Amino acid sequence: MGFSNSQIHNDALPNVEDVELLSISKQYLKIIVLNKVVMCLAFVSVLVLGKFFVTKAGFQEGFWYIFSIIVGFCLLNFGLAILAFKKRKYAIREHDVIYAKGLLINSITTVPISRIQHIEESRSWLSRQFNLATLNLYTAGESGSDLSIKGLPYQEAKQINDFISSRINGNG
Amino acid sequence: METADFSHPSRQSAKGIIIIFAFNAFKFFKKFFVLFIAFGLSLAKKKSFAHINKTVIVISLVAIVIGLLVFAILKYLHFRFHINQDDFHLSTGIFNKDNTIISKSKIQNVYIKQNFLQQLINVVSLNIETAGDNKSEIEIHALDKPTALLLKRELFDQQESNILSGNITGSSEQEQQKQVFFKVSPKRLLLEGVSQNHLKSFAIIASFVFGLYYEFKDYVKDLKIRERIEAIAEFDETTLLGIFLTNVIIVLFAVLFSLLFSVIKTFVTNFDLEVVENQKTIEINKGLLNKVSLSLTPSRIQNIVIKTNRIKQYFGLHTMSVNQAMVSAKQKKNFVIIALEKSQVDHLIDKILKHYTLDSDVDKPTQYYKRILALKILVTALLVNMVAFFIFGNGALWVNAFLLPLAILYVYFGYKKAYYHINDRFVTVGGGVIDTTTNILEIHKIQAVKLRQSIFQKRRQIASVIITTASKSVKIPYVKENDAKSIYNFLLFKVESEDKDWM
Repeated sequence: MGFSNSQIHNDALPNVEDVELLSISKQYLKIIVLNKVVMCLAFVSVLVLGKFFVTKAGFQEGFWYIFSIIVGFCLLNFGLAILAFKKRKYAIREHDVIYAKGLLINSITTVPISRIQHIEESRSWLSRQFNLATLNLYTAGESGSDLSIKGLPYQEAKQINDFISSRINGNG
Repeated sequence: METADFSHPSRQSAKGIIIIFAFNAFKFFKKFFVLFIAFGLSLAKKKSFAHINKTVIVISLVAIVIGLLVFAILKYLHFRFHINQDDFHLSTGIFNKDNTIISKSKIQNVYIKQNFLQQLINVVSLNIETAGDNKSEIEIHALDKPTALLLKRELFDQQESNILSGNITGSSEQEQQKQVFFKVSPKRLLLEGVSQNHLKSFAIIASFVFGLYYEFKDYVKDLKIRERIEAIAEFDETTLLGIFLTNVIIVLFAVLFSLLFSVIKTFVTNFDLEVVENQKTIEINKGLLNKVSLSLTPSRIQNIVIKTNRIKQYFGLHTMSVNQAMVSAKQKKNFVIIALEKSQVDHLIDKILKHYTLDSDVDKPTQYYKRILALKILVTALLVNMVAFFIFGNGALWVNAFLLPLAILYVYFGYKKAYYHINDRFVTVGGGVIDTTTNILEIHKIQAVKLRQSIFQKRRQIASVIITTASKSVKIPYVKENDAKSIYNFLLFKVESEDKDWM
């Protein structure tokens, strides 16, 4: 094959930028919000319990400082999670699967379908309530190269699962 | 048993009972070590403990030993393996029967090990490894060496080419193609040990010393180290020299210990290192207490990393690590070949990766990489400052006088050594600060490609590309966004269009 170094910059190559990335289901935002709320409530309730049971003077004095720090952290975490939700995108191409995520640190991972070892579709109790599914793609590499696409509509996850499964088996 | 017929289920060498017994006894005593100590202590306090006296203890100990022995014999009797056309079969288990079948084509590696006990009774253990996780590993604990070699050849050669079926008598032919390519001399081993990264050895020793320090805190306090160090802060001229000398002596001792530790470690793990070139595979033999012999098949190798540093370069010492798919960290160390000449490295690379070339015009990361390096060293420096401050108080801030030049050197070399090059078949990424590392991987062995960009980098249009193979990830750091995307597209295009197998 006549590929040389200069051809890296060849515009004729299929470009990730041209791919129209699809957003995951809006429903998944609810799950994220629920998870975050539960987490924050857990933190706050531990702290409030602490106020009643810990008798150390230092803790009682500093309680409102700790409280406000934790609430601030929760709000920040919450806000970032919601903003980052828009960045969770995926696309299935003929030869590969693309998944993008992250607000502060954005990453786009592509796994060629020929490198997928097996594919798994999992649904937690919560995601069943919203009719969602998570698609896990496992490669032979270390965990860094495994893809987990969360919050797909169940029907779509099933279709993708079927498509990729048939592709994997078709290629031997 | 010594007949080289593996087609019928056979057991390992009878000496295997000893090995299994020893392994189990060791495991058993390790598990109940704390219990034994507690038991012994309470016995020592009172002469008897719940009507237990000496005879009972002796009897129970003997019972444990006999139990372990019976267990070992049973385990030995139930451990059988054989090879049929394409598969390796193994059945184990006394109560829970396990039957493992591994297809020869899926075997990634077969290697022979010999620990100290095994050396004493002259047996070897044979490990069979697949690309799966640790559970799919098979270890046969005790085989005599000729049998092990034959078994290895059976498993390995036929996987290479199915033509050689039952080619056991042809071993002499095989032998002739062998060629000892590299044998390390004690002098080179010594040099390698001396020129190692002593910071690592020092870290191990330092953590050990700190552990001791906490054990004997009160005693150390008596030495009034704190007062002496505080004296530095007061700049008392007469004591300054004395303290300076003690510090120098302490540093010298630390360096000496680290050096000794590195040298001994190098000698023990790499004793008699030998690289043998077969027709298709490369064989590595090494080790003093744990003798290891393993074969590498080029098609199973996912990454190659070559390391050297300034001093090593001067002596012509290069370290080459060869990474296969999903090999546990403990084993990874065994795939390291040290003390190679540059020409030998080139030869091995050429053997493993056919027609590998690295053009002289390599690409560099953007200047932004310097910032990242500076940020990294800044965080480290802050941590060092904080620790120093809490231990030694205000006087510790002189540490920065050393840190600053080091930090500048860190950024300078970190950037200078970083480069990447991508051609038709290979990705080469260079880096390192103290070490000079070169990562090489074949494009068709890529498992996934990732583009990473923080919001700060987005403004400057800079991104990193992370390339994952089955053994490790390699990062092309902080290149221009357009270049990163081109690389990304190119690599994916190559992987997807060529349809080559990664293993």
